[in-house]
Parts: sequence; structure tokens; C-alpha cells
Amino acid sequence: MNSIANEVQAQIKERSPLSIWRFLKNRWFLHAVSTIAFFIIWDYVAFNRFLGSALARPYEVLLQLANMMVNPIAGKDLIGHIWASTQRILTGFAIGAVLATPLGLFMALNRYVNAIVKPVFDLIKPMPPIAWISIAILWFGIGEPSKIFIIVVGTFVPCLLNAYNGVRLIEPQLYDVVRMLGGNRRDEILHVCFPAAFPAIFAGLQISLSCAWTCVLAAELVSARSGLGFIILLGMTQSKPALIVGGMVVIAMVAWLTTLLVTGLEKVLCPWKREIQTA
Amino acid sequence: MKTETDCKILCAHVSKEFIQKSSQRVNVIDDISLDVKSNEFVVILGPGQSGKSTLLRIIAGLELPTSGRVAIDGREISGPGPDRGLVFQSYMLFPWKTVMGNVELGPKLRGVGKKERREIAQHYIDLVGLNGFEKHYPHQLSGGMKQRVGIARAYANNPTVMLLDEPFGQLDAQTRYFMEKETARIWETDKRTVLFVTNNIDEAIYLGDRIVTLKGKLPGRLHDVYDVKLPRPREHTDMKFLELRQQITDASELVL
Repeated sequence: MNSIANEVQAQIKERSPLSIWRFLKNRWFLHAVSTIAFFIIWDYVAFNRFLGSALARPYEVLLQLANMMVNPIAGKDLIGHIWASTQRILTGFAIGAVLATPLGLFMALNRYVNAIVKPVFDLIKPMPPIAWISIAILWFGIGEPSKIFIIVVGTFVPCLLNAYNGVRLIEPQLYDVVRMLGGNRRDEILHVCFPAAFPAIFAGLQISLSCAWTCVLAAELVSARSGLGFIILLGMTQSKPALIVGGMVVIAMVAWLTTLLVTGLEKVLCPWKREIQTA
Repeated sequence: MKTETDCKILCAHVSKEFIQKSSQRVNVIDDISLDVKSNEFVVILGPGQSGKSTLLRIIAGLELPTSGRVAIDGREISGPGPDRGLVFQSYMLFPWKTVMGNVELGPKLRGVGKKERREIAQHYIDLVGLNGFEKHYPHQLSGGMKQRVGIARAYANNPTVMLLDEPFGQLDAQTRYFMEKETARIWETDKRTVLFVTNNIDEAIYLGDRIVTLKGKLPGRLHDVYDVKLPRPREHTDMKFLELRQQITDASELVL
């Protein structure tokens, strides 16, 4: 009797909306705690100069970014530099994805294409895209084409691999369904291959996009007159930690936004995955 | 003497060997002969690893027999085709298609116009009791409902032969029992020649006009044939049901 009564009481306690323990376990509360703690520790470390003068305090970074909105650096304000990097990424990403995704699909669907392309691709696959920078500059000069080339190389590999594996990992019995219903090879590709590979293709696009940010940064650090990599490099040569950290923060935010865009696009184009993801 | 055209499905001395990677030959089916009459409900009963699914896949045309032949309506089959509908154990619905999209695929592939194929699909969605779920995606459905879609999809292509490969193997006992009742109801509403593979003896007796048992070990060989002369709808607790159950159990090496 006693134990049942205790149990009921415990349940009532747990359901109580005013419980402090419940509040402490709240997800959003914990998010807030970790975020605020991060900024406090950052400010503490920067203020006490544990890392010398190389780390700017959060408010200095904010001030620097606000200043850049008004006073242009190297002929461009902050938005201009963000756009310079984003433009390179979008161009390179688009070219890379448009070339690699169909090629990956072809390789998975046709063993002759696979046999021809795979050895060359396997050779190039493990090469870090940044290793191409020097040769790209020799080929295309220090202007835009060499930067875009690096991004194309960087996005190519994950796009191709994901499209390829997306088709390769399809449950073979799904083809049996189409064949039993009277479909031919074309129907198999249209009704099974493409839709089944779609989520994997999108995962490839996501990976490519973050890879593209790495590539554009590297390219801009080597040679550029604009872009967020240029801002970071400028911060280093002028010993302005606020400029460096500011550039890093902006990159994180813009990269996060572009990823959000691709995720949103996937949700629109793959409605059957919508509820699995939010669940 | 029966001629070949008398029976809907004819399997004559069908054998199947698989060659594994180590170039070992595995004999899966050995000399199975079977004929099924039009609109007959035949259950192939056998334990796991008795070659029953392989036999069904051969009749579906997805596998070719190593020797022997399979004919539907007297015509030897050479591959899969829309004259046979296959229902899979693991449902095999297209996750990117809605219930309607899945069910209407057969007519769509055969080039039936949108309005007409929607009507056909709707008819079978209603028949399997999924009215109101047309716009749902498979992941939103329970196991039993998924298999209803699988059955409707096979039916909607208007095959003369329905092949069901352990269709309720993944369902819990209660849903399974319910789906068996539904299968009997659907079949009596819209009769087709049915080959139903199962390892469940109660399911076999509940559904079959005739039960074909396979021997317990590879290679799969025909063991016995039982005519089930019980009136429908059948009762699991009927004395004759239980007698037949005992008879099959005694005669086979099925572990129950």
C-alpha cells in the first residue's frame, strides 16, 4: 500500500510544471547555459590575456564588425566581402555539383562507365582539394577562376561519391517490384534509382558545401583582394585579433545559413523524409 | 488425363541450384512438380530454409530454374510480368510514394491514363480497407497497413495470379490473425489464383484450398498435399481444423 502511494506521489511530483528540477533539465535552458558560459569564458580568457594579446574580447569583435559595415576595407564593406566569398562558393559549388552528381549516377547505373571512370576517380579522390591551389594559380592566374577551380575540385568528390553510393545501396527487391508490375529498365531508373538516391545526393550536397567553405578560405588566404579569408589574413598581417575572430564568426554564420538553405530545399523536394527528420 | 491448359500454374520438375562464391553448388529446390487450378488458393507450407520463397520467385520469373519449367496458362514464362502480382514479406513499398502513388504504379507503368488508374487504385485501396490513407507515406503506416498497400498494389495491376511470399511474417500475432481474415475476405470478394507461401500452419489451414508441404531441409522437396475441405469463413477452434492441424504436424518435421 505504502509503496503504491509513494509511487503515485512521485508521479504527481514529476508532472508538476513548477518543479525546479524540471526547469533545470529543460533543453532550452541548457542551451542558454552553455552559450552564456562559452562567452563568459571567452571574455575571461581574453581579458586576462592568457593567450597574450592574440584573442579579442567578444564586444571588440562586435565593434569591429559594426565598424566594417560602415567603413570599407580594401574598397568593400562587410557585406561586400561576404558576397565575394559566397559568390565564389556558389559558382564553384554549382559547377561541381552539376558535373559530379550525374557522373556518379551514371557510374552506379552503367558498369562500363564505372569501369572507365573509377580508376581515375580513385586516384584523385584522396587528394586534398587544397593541394590543387598552387597548380590552379599556375594554370588560371591569381584571379577568380583559380579560386572557383579549387571549390569545384572540393565539391566534386563528395557529390560524386554520394550520388554513386545512393544508387548502389538501393534495396534490390525494389527493382523486382517494378519488374513484376511490368516496368522496364527505364522505369526502374525513373521510379527507383532517382528518388531512392535523392536523400544521399542531398547529403553529398551538404558535405560539399562545408568542403567548399574550407576551399574558398584556403584560396583566399593564398591570394585575394576580397572575401572573408582576405579579412582574416589582413587581421593577421595588421595584428588585429578582432578582425580575425570577426571573420571567423561571420564565416560560421554564413556557412550555417547556406546549410539551412540546402536542408530546407531537401525538405521541399523529399516530402517523404519530412516527418522522419522532425520526429 | 489433364492437359496443360487445364491448370493455371504448372511447375514441371523444377530444380534450382545456386552457385556460391566459393563455387560451391547449393541445391535449393529439387524436382518440384505442382499444378494450380484457376482461382484456387494454394498454400506452400514449409519451415525456414526449405526453398519455398525460391520456388515462388521462380514462378514470379525473378529467378530462372536450373532445370524444369514453369508455365502460366500453358505459356512458359521467361521473366517477370504483370500477369503475376507479387507481395513481399518486407512490404517493399516505395517510401517516396504515397499510398495512392504506390498502388497506382502498376497501371501507370502500363500506360493507363491518370483518371482511370486513380479509379482503379481507389477501388483496391477501398477493398483493402485503407480508405482515407491515400495521401499517407509508408513510414506513417503500421506494419499491417503497409502490407495492405502491398496487396492493393499487386491487385491494382489486375494480375490473374497472386504470389504472396510470407506476407505476414513481420506482423505481431494479433495483427497477423486479423490480416489472415482480411486476406480471405479480399480473395472471396475478388478471386484470383493464389500461391501463398508461409511457415505458419494455422495460417495455411485458415486460408488454403490446398496445402502443399515441403520437406524441412535443403534441397526443398515436395512432401505432402492436403485438400482443405472446410467451409469458409473458417474457425481456428473448429474440431476439423484441429484434426487437420494434428495430421499435418504429425506428418511433417515442422517444429511448432
